[in-house]
Amino acid sequence: MITKLTKYLGVGALALSALFGTARAADTVKVGVLHSLSGTMAISETSLRDILMFTADEINAKGGVLGKKIELVIVDGASDWPTFAEKCKQLTEQDKVAVTFGCWTSVSRKYCLPVLEKNNALLFYPVQYEGEEESQNVFYTAEAVNQQATPAVDYYLAEGKKKFYLLGTDYVYPQTTNLVLLEYLLSKGVPLENIGGGFKKDASGKIIAAGKYTGFGHTDYQQIVAEIKQFAASGDACVISTLNGDTNVPFFKEYAASGLTSETCPVVSFSISEDEFRGLPADKLVGQLGCWTYFESIDTPANKKFVANFKSWLSKSTVAGIVKEGRVTCSPMVLSYDGMYLWKAAVEKAGSFDVDKVRAALKSGISFDGPGGKVTTQKNMHLTKTVYIGETKADGQFKILKSFADVYGEPWLKGKFK
Amino acid sequence: MTYLKRAVLFFAFAVSCVSAWAAASPRAIITQAILTESSAEKRTLIASLSGSGDEVIPELLDAWRKDAIFLYPKGTTVVPVLLTGEKDDTGAQIAIRVDNGQPLTDASGKPFRLIGSDLKTADHTSALRRVMKSVLDVVDLVAANPAKRLSAVQTIGQAQDAMKLPLLEARLPEEKDGNVLRALREAIALIKLKDPKDEVKLAALAELQTLHTLSSADFLSRTMKEAEAANNQPVLKAARAALKEVESHRSVVDFLGTIFRGLSLGSILLVLALGLAITFGLMGVINMAHGEMIAVGAYTTYLVQNIFGTGIVIPCFGLSLSIPGMNLTGWAYQCYFIAAIPLSFCAAALVGIGLERSIIQWLYRRPLESLLATWGVSVVLQQVFKLMFGSNNVQVSSPLYLSGNWTINDVLLGWNRVFVIGFAIMIVFGVWLVLTRTSLGLLIRAVMQNRGMASCMGVRTQRVNMLTFGLGSGLAGLAGAFLSQIGNVGPSMGQNYIVDCFMTVVVGGVGNLPGTVISAFGIGLSDQTLQQVLLDPVIGKILVLVCIILFLQWRPAGIFVTRSRSLD
Repeated sequence: MITKLTKYLGVGALALSALFGTARAADTVKVGVLHSLSGTMAISETSLRDILMFTADEINAKGGVLGKKIELVIVDGASDWPTFAEKCKQLTEQDKVAVTFGCWTSVSRKYCLPVLEKNNALLFYPVQYEGEEESQNVFYTAEAVNQQATPAVDYYLAEGKKKFYLLGTDYVYPQTTNLVLLEYLLSKGVPLENIGGGFKKDASGKIIAAGKYTGFGHTDYQQIVAEIKQFAASGDACVISTLNGDTNVPFFKEYAASGLTSETCPVVSFSISEDEFRGLPADKLVGQLGCWTYFESIDTPANKKFVANFKSWLSKSTVAGIVKEGRVTCSPMVLSYDGMYLWKAAVEKAGSFDVDKVRAALKSGISFDGPGGKVTTQKNMHLTKTVYIGETKADGQFKILKSFADVYGEPWLKGKFK
Repeated sequence: MTYLKRAVLFFAFAVSCVSAWAAASPRAIITQAILTESSAEKRTLIASLSGSGDEVIPELLDAWRKDAIFLYPKGTTVVPVLLTGEKDDTGAQIAIRVDNGQPLTDASGKPFRLIGSDLKTADHTSALRRVMKSVLDVVDLVAANPAKRLSAVQTIGQAQDAMKLPLLEARLPEEKDGNVLRALREAIALIKLKDPKDEVKLAALAELQTLHTLSSADFLSRTMKEAEAANNQPVLKAARAALKEVESHRSVVDFLGTIFRGLSLGSILLVLALGLAITFGLMGVINMAHGEMIAVGAYTTYLVQNIFGTGIVIPCFGLSLSIPGMNLTGWAYQCYFIAAIPLSFCAAALVGIGLERSIIQWLYRRPLESLLATWGVSVVLQQVFKLMFGSNNVQVSSPLYLSGNWTINDVLLGWNRVFVIGFAIMIVFGVWLVLTRTSLGLLIRAVMQNRGMASCMGVRTQRVNMLTFGLGSGLAGLAGAFLSQIGNVGPSMGQNYIVDCFMTVVVGGVGNLPGTVISAFGIGLSDQTLQQVLLDPVIGKILVLVCIILFLQWRPAGIFVTRSRSLD
């Protein structure tokens, strides 16, 4: 008797859940979030998950996309590149998400590419990268090299700097960026002997690598700082740094101890945003430069509203383990935010969630007024946006020195500057 | 005609502007510079102050550079004010108007106080600060502090501004400080290099040749190129000779610098590895948690720093542990590092003793199990750090006495590096004293050589094991305290150093302290030399590892082989 009753109940529950399930599915659209929530990259990437959840809530509160609420499917790439490919496959093949927002390192993006291309899925990628790639299945809201590195060089040249020292962590982004920078500097008339850090040449004498590289987790910067000190003795030198994360701490400590300052030889770092700043010795970095397409200190009503909304969302958030104290906003976060709104605009323009139609709408040039100013999508799946150069302050924020409006995102730069 | 008229009018206007500036007081010019929107105009205005001896200039420009000048909105206009004097209870300070030097007064003429954080600071950019610096440099030429004079002289020389030559030459007979005098002679020679007359140029080149400063290299090679283009043989020859002199000086500097850097890297390796030389070398425990003992020391330094400062809140397994701070400032606060050194030794030693009592004491003579168990402990400890301090790195600031440098004959000696060399020597000496001159040392040596025999002779081996492990861990804590000054402090910092530690101990010879000392300095020096020669840190490090592998093929037991019956 009892077993029969439970059976009926069970069937009833199944039927009910199926009913509600379908009803729910009709009202929502699944959107994937693929970031590392554990492992070494978690420090940076968790912030992007947070901002995407905030953006989805904000869009849903205003009625969603094409009348459907966004339902985030959040998976953990675990700072492990094959896991990224696996999770990307899960999102596109099992969950059948309409679009995915994710990846931080270039290598994680490269691992996801084959999966995306096989399933004709769409990924929005938000972090500054080296270019030399233009997949039809990735929309790069990220800064291309000409939206970060070359404006910084322009700024230095205008400041009267004549010597450039290139320094970076040994992986694909710094290596490629520095090669592009080398070509750019030469095209601007900076002679080879005024570019520091050393070169590697192949058998034919062609330069295949420029700049000085150290491994991840390198701790001893004595030799390099001594070299920079000699390089900068003539008083018109600067350093262009693509050092990643942690290694900035020993580098800047050694740099300050050697007596070099932002006035004698400034350093522009492409990998330090407000978010990374939280773990760095602020007093050693004051006056050094940063170059991004967004700073939290941008003084516009739109940005102030965005920062305030995000912070009030954070304080109310009930997500397990979310960090609430000392949070900041930074460029990759804002590019994720812009990305989701651009996708919404593209879907609404296309009138469909179909990837091909959305892509066509994105390519047609959609604009969005984001916290960092107006951004416009381009035919080459990149973004036109405003570039800012800022000086670090002791409180971990940037003071904006110069901005370049509407810089076109150009991924193919190698061999472009003659 | 109209063009001409316009040009004349414009010229008259420009002249009147310039003369207005010339007539205006420095205070008026600085006020105008603060208030104007255009950054180019700001720079022109500030540059116009150059050469004026008025002493309010350095005071106001310094305040501006250091964000002590604020904009006070008065009705529709803005009044730049300088906040000075003691802060009262609300944090307010006396406000001095920049334009006339008088205190800011309210309607009834009474001076009033302002709170800095309520106001906007006057803006400045690095380009503007450079202009300010060039103005201040001229003022600084007669500053009391030799370091200030030195930097002023160098910047003036590098700008090669012929207008400033008389200023420098006037200083030449009065300058007493050797370093500044040398820089002064160099600056004069550099400015003279720009002189169109060949004999002045040649004299300048001869002077640069005798001075052979590194900073003149770029200017010499530029002159050389110009002379080559103009086919000016005497100048070319003199420039080449001067450059050669600079280059030979550079190689001496590089050589001495490399030795110093090698010694400092060796000292760091030594400080890191000495604790392991005791726990692994003497006791035979493959202690994979050694890196976490280093982190314990580093985090202790972080805690001490916060206790000396404003206090800290640590979330501890669901509870929030709030430690009040002592709110010290100035020198008292800077002394936190002195206090942190013994405390980090004690903290790491206590953790080590706890580890020995709870886990390792069951694992003597079972190296494989000890390896696995201590590895597990290291993972657990890393998670504990993450729970307590967060997964981000924490900031440990360097005290002033560790963040400067001496430059002796162009060789850079960082104070932190000099400190680590002295620190390493002291630790080695201390460990040697403990092991050879105390009764504990005697017992340690006895137990390590033959545990069974020592036990039979009535030595309480359990207690000696515990204390030895505590000593080794405490030394790791000392290394952590020091590493917080030069590198990252984070939950996984220990992992970055563990390989280096084992490498140093194994190369030195397991169970042999002098071997560890020699191998640490050997590895440090060869690493820095290879970096210097190859100009590539990555390949340098690889080559060092290759050399170590080859060395261990040749001498598997390390530099010094310890022969003993007990190390089974």
